[in-house]
Amino acid sequence: MEKANFRTQILTRHLQNRAPAASGGAVSRAPCLSYAPPEATASFDVSSMRKLMDGHNLGERDWLFNLMLQSKLFNPKLRGGRVFVAPDYNQSMEQQREMTMKRIQYLLDRGVFEGWMTGKGIEAEMRKLALLEVITIFDHSLAIKIGVHFFLWGGAIQFFGTKRHHDKWLRATETFLMKGCFAMTELGHGSNVRGIETITTYDPRTEEFIINTPCESAQKYWIGGAANHATHTVVFSQLNIEGKNEGVHAFITQIRDSDGNICPNIRIADCGHKIGLNGVDNGRIWFDNVRIPRENILNSVADVSSDGKYLSAIKDADQRFGAFMAPLTSGRVTIAVSAVYMAKMSLAIAIRYSLTRRAFSITPNGAEVLLLDYPSHQRRLLPLLAKTYAMSFAGNYLKLLYVRRTPQLIKTLHVVSSGLKATLTWHNMRTLQECREACGGQGLKTENRIGQLKGEYDVQSTFEGDNNVLMQQVSKALLAEYVAAKRKNKPFKELGLEHMNKPSPTIPSRLSSSTVHSSQFQNDIFCLRERDLLNRFAAEVSKYQAQGESKESAFNASYQLAEDLGRAFTDRAILQTFVEAENSLTDASLKNVLSLVRSMYVLVTLDEDPAFLRYGHLTTENAAIVRKEVVSLCSEIRPHALALVDSFGIPDGFLSPIAFDWVAANAWSASRD
Amino acid sequence: MASTNGETDQVLVEERSCGRIFMLNRPKQLNALSAVMVSRLLELFLSCAEDSSVKFIIVKGQGRAFCAGGDVAAVVHDINRGNWKSGADYFRKEFTMNYVIATYIKPQVSILNGIVMGGGAGVSVHGRFRIATEKSLFAMPETALGLFPDIGASYFLSRLPGFFGEYVGLTGARLDGAEMLACGLATHFVQSESLPLLEEALVRAASSDPVVISSIIEQFSHAPNLKKNSAYHRLDVINKCFSRRTVEDIFEALERVSADKKDDWISSTIQSLKKASPMSLKISLRSIREGRLQGIGKCLVREFRMVCHVMLGEVSKDFVEGCRAILLDKDRNPKWAPSKLESISDEMVDRYFSKVDDADWEDLKLPVSSRLPAYAMAKL
Repeated sequence: MEKANFRTQILTRHLQNRAPAASGGAVSRAPCLSYAPPEATASFDVSSMRKLMDGHNLGERDWLFNLMLQSKLFNPKLRGGRVFVAPDYNQSMEQQREMTMKRIQYLLDRGVFEGWMTGKGIEAEMRKLALLEVITIFDHSLAIKIGVHFFLWGGAIQFFGTKRHHDKWLRATETFLMKGCFAMTELGHGSNVRGIETITTYDPRTEEFIINTPCESAQKYWIGGAANHATHTVVFSQLNIEGKNEGVHAFITQIRDSDGNICPNIRIADCGHKIGLNGVDNGRIWFDNVRIPRENILNSVADVSSDGKYLSAIKDADQRFGAFMAPLTSGRVTIAVSAVYMAKMSLAIAIRYSLTRRAFSITPNGAEVLLLDYPSHQRRLLPLLAKTYAMSFAGNYLKLLYVRRTPQLIKTLHVVSSGLKATLTWHNMRTLQECREACGGQGLKTENRIGQLKGEYDVQSTFEGDNNVLMQQVSKALLAEYVAAKRKNKPFKELGLEHMNKPSPTIPSRLSSSTVHSSQFQNDIFCLRERDLLNRFAAEVSKYQAQGESKESAFNASYQLAEDLGRAFTDRAILQTFVEAENSLTDASLKNVLSLVRSMYVLVTLDEDPAFLRYGHLTTENAAIVRKEVVSLCSEIRPHALALVDSFGIPDGFLSPIAFDWVAANAWSASRD
Repeated sequence: MASTNGETDQVLVEERSCGRIFMLNRPKQLNALSAVMVSRLLELFLSCAEDSSVKFIIVKGQGRAFCAGGDVAAVVHDINRGNWKSGADYFRKEFTMNYVIATYIKPQVSILNGIVMGGGAGVSVHGRFRIATEKSLFAMPETALGLFPDIGASYFLSRLPGFFGEYVGLTGARLDGAEMLACGLATHFVQSESLPLLEEALVRAASSDPVVISSIIEQFSHAPNLKKNSAYHRLDVINKCFSRRTVEDIFEALERVSADKKDDWISSTIQSLKKASPMSLKISLRSIREGRLQGIGKCLVREFRMVCHVMLGEVSKDFVEGCRAILLDKDRNPKWAPSKLESISDEMVDRYFSKVDDADWEDLKLPVSSRLPAYAMAKL
């Protein structure tokens, strides 16, 4: 009966609403459902948490957010009384590419790139990384286009080049006197850079290198910037000197003149429309015996004398190749960090929406329930929130490792950046999908960002190293470390494997709630899994080798353990950065909430990775206890959810209409603006 | 005209059917907001929100000013007597009033027929409708007083087109009615002679619907031409220079433009920045930049922290000095300390944005109201 009354009331309201709004006043215009903003119950200081999360250059970040919000170039749109900026993805590929260039010009004119190539020291590097993160929050295409020019082209000049290249190119790059790209990947070779087929020879009579694309599979592919804008490229090529292949080397080649005309003996084709990143002009390049002057070889690692002799301080070809790969580390660092920012963005939107959108009543005629008050909805979003916090700390650690790199740290940097790049980008894709679904139909609208970001960021699991290949590199490096330590009978002292020197931790046969919340237990169980998997992996590889298999095929055959081990290493490394971030704090309210978040990160990892059960690190009883604990952690974190996403430091205008008053944003009056 | 006692004569209230007209009535002081006026206005706004017979509110000023600002002379007097806390009470109340206005459920029409400065903007710009006239004169002159644009200015200045807000907030530039309309500080421009008729029309319509009110005002309004030398014509240069990250960078950009070509407008802009308190410039810029990324509530909470630090004078006593030089001794020659931008460290600036270290001190607590209109919700 009450239900019938309720329907009648609604119908009456509909009928009354037919009267013109003018005579009725505000009351008659009230919608059936009104938007109520999420209740703010921050138990900690959001700005202090933001400081911890963003970590550095907050003033510069906010300045850049300001710059983008205040220019029409960033496509501001009024929705529900608020301004949101986001690229117009409904533009054609060509239009999106032109917009990307216009935005770059605007940022250049405002001094954003000042010091990006010529700045020295850690401070300049951190500023550059911070600004790139802010740019990626606006648009991945813009960040990639800038990243290719500065980090790949510019990085190659910096790291592979010597003074003559620095003098000629660094300032010119910083001011966009030219536009650079990076021609490494070929149609036939991506992750396996050593297999590329482009060939360069030397002509001592003219003192020129001759670069050639010998076959279709050697065409350069996916070269960002090549299709429309780039004037110069760094070409990666086999270097053939006096009939001997000296391996992969890098050369500067002009591909367009300053008017944008393609240079002689260069052919360029477009990679065409993509599932995302259409604001980046990826192209294909063929070199038809292109001649370049001898000084265009980037000669920090190896050189060719004017009379055509090959010269290199590094005699070992493997090491030489390793030196060439160094700039790719910066790409992996920026990719890993930007993946975390996208997870932050989608969670900020989906969690804000879930705190204002209701569905179904659970009592007769009761108010409908907020999405985030459903335990199942909490279980979908809050563990991802906890992981994003953990990975944000890992990203900050990775950045510091990168900017403070020393020759001794190159191996650690390579392994950690590989593991984190793969793990953080996979996490982002999973988070985007879950957040898209958690927003229901609204998640399908491009203006609500999350759905579109799936296409825009999918590439992250492929470029700068395929995620699966990178994870195998982690396991391979761990195995090498293991073999070396055992052979020399020396303790582990790198890659965070020091815990292997201690006796194996023991896990209580029956876990209590207080145990699972202790960081000691959390660290122990992650170390136990890593230690056990490393032992098993080493044993399996040597078993295959004992059967006569080569090291490589033994490794390939052990891929299941390799995958489990790569994950174990990365999760443990992430947890360590979390604990370090907590230890840097004095504010008790921040520490309290972070310890909940850390417990959630660990316990949900235990709940989701079958390796713990498979290899007996957790008994089935303990696995059940952990699973229950995840549920109670969800309800403990629930009151902090809004403050936790507000701490991400992403300004409202960079989120989307469903994160705020989605009723006003979708009102009839708004549809006529 | 209804008034309950002598003190509240500083705000006159007129009941016109469903409308309430608040008249700021301290014409000798150009209607500068005394503590009594702030209390009274806050009380009036709150009670009219509850009173279902009230559909809309008009705010205007007696005499040639709408409102020339807050009563900073009284605040400085308090500070000089060692009583910064009563100054804090004043600002607490004023900012609360600004918040109530910004999130007000009923339409407010402010008639800005004269001077609108500082606190005067706080009573009007946050409201739904702001009517400029040929007599309007707007400015945020705080940096010349050793203060910073407060009363929620970091919210509305930062939302003006491009970087016009930084220009207005840092230089204290004066805007006329046409400029106010062009940049969005005003929503309409009406000739002052039409104001009585407009008021009549609003009272007759007796509507609380912003669409209806807007269409009535539109019947009386027109689009005036910007004067030839209006700063708004210089938006390109303003965007180029005032978008820079730091005050030093802004100076440098302006000086580069001025070196390229002699230009009176640029020189006078540089001059007004040079006259302002260096500390004020630093904290004002940062406040506007943070304000652009925040809702009105957070802006006011931040500004309240800042104004308390300004009054405390731990880092700089420029506010007292500025008021001495401009308002009291009127020698117009303030001795700023620190006297140079380069002697101000980031840490000194940070202090203004931190909580005040005092057992009795609390952050600004804003009233919670449910069921706000979308217009107000969008500001939160």
